[in-house]
Amino acid sequence: MTDAWDAIAEGEAVRGEPFAVTRETIRAFCDASLDYNPLHLDDDYMKGSFGKTQFGGIIMHGMTNFGLISRMLTDWTYARGGQHRRLETRWKAPVRPGDTITPTARVTRKLETVKGRWATLEVEVRNQRGELIAQGEAMAEFPKDLAAV
Amino acid sequence: MSQPTGTTAPAREPSFETDFWKDAAARKTWDDLVPGEPRRTLPYRLTLEAIHGYCRAVGDMHPLYFDEDYARRSPYGGLIAPPSIHILLMFSCTPPDDWMRSPGTINAGQCWTYHRPARPGDLIRLEARCLDKFIRKDRLFAVHDNVFFNERDEVICAGRGQTIRPM
Repeated sequence: MTDAWDAIAEGEAVRGEPFAVTRETIRAFCDASLDYNPLHLDDDYMKGSFGKTQFGGIIMHGMTNFGLISRMLTDWTYARGGQHRRLETRWKAPVRPGDTITPTARVTRKLETVKGRWATLEVEVRNQRGELIAQGEAMAEFPKDLAAV
Repeated sequence: MSQPTGTTAPAREPSFETDFWKDAAARKTWDDLVPGEPRRTLPYRLTLEAIHGYCRAVGDMHPLYFDEDYARRSPYGGLIAPPSIHILLMFSCTPPDDWMRSPGTINAGQCWTYHRPARPGDLIRLEARCLDKFIRKDRLFAVHDNVFFNERDEVICAGRGQTIRPM
């Protein structure tokens, strides 16, 4: 029987679910995360200037990207007997109501350590126009004994 | 920029202040931040309702978080929270005058590692501090460093991030 770890290939692509962003989903994330920063609630505030940046209206929480990437990685690793262990992301562009964003990942490396088996992945989020919204790196562990968690 | 009117939203948790303008004057500015100095934090009892609210907000309906029978038969032995629950815990475990709530705070990126899953009923504790602050391209940055523990003092997750502070 082929071990799920053995079946993972460097270069393997992972695709998350598209997420349609609306004012309601942004508001739901405020309630779920308790992050009520006016960046996500107050259009009048967002018509102002933020240094060199102009937003023009409310934007989605950057951490929604994080949650969507994390969801994709958890689904992918758990189905293969693994655990999502690390995620690092940088935000490249804001997301506005009406956008649809999709997380993706690609396995960059498999590595066996003294006690573990690890995969590293590149991750990114793009909007419906293909614009880069977030990018980063992730790690997943594939323990020899998941019962030890 | 004109001072906007505060926005008050119905809170999922009645004790949580959703008007982030209300305590704005009491919060530390970038100038006040002392790298290395601990932030004041609050213990927080994580509920299944809060976990489910977070999951729904990111469309994550995995049975590990919702289906008790499925979760009991999993390696986790019961319902757990998704790894990124720290997004909720950051605001649950900090008081209203915490500088992370300053209106206009822009998240520039974060990095988290996950050790043990948080579970419904866990009493969560946060150890947090500003780790660094710097100026880049005329913007004020602060680095925050955080570790969440359960009541058995086991690390749930640890992470840090950069925010651009309001001028």
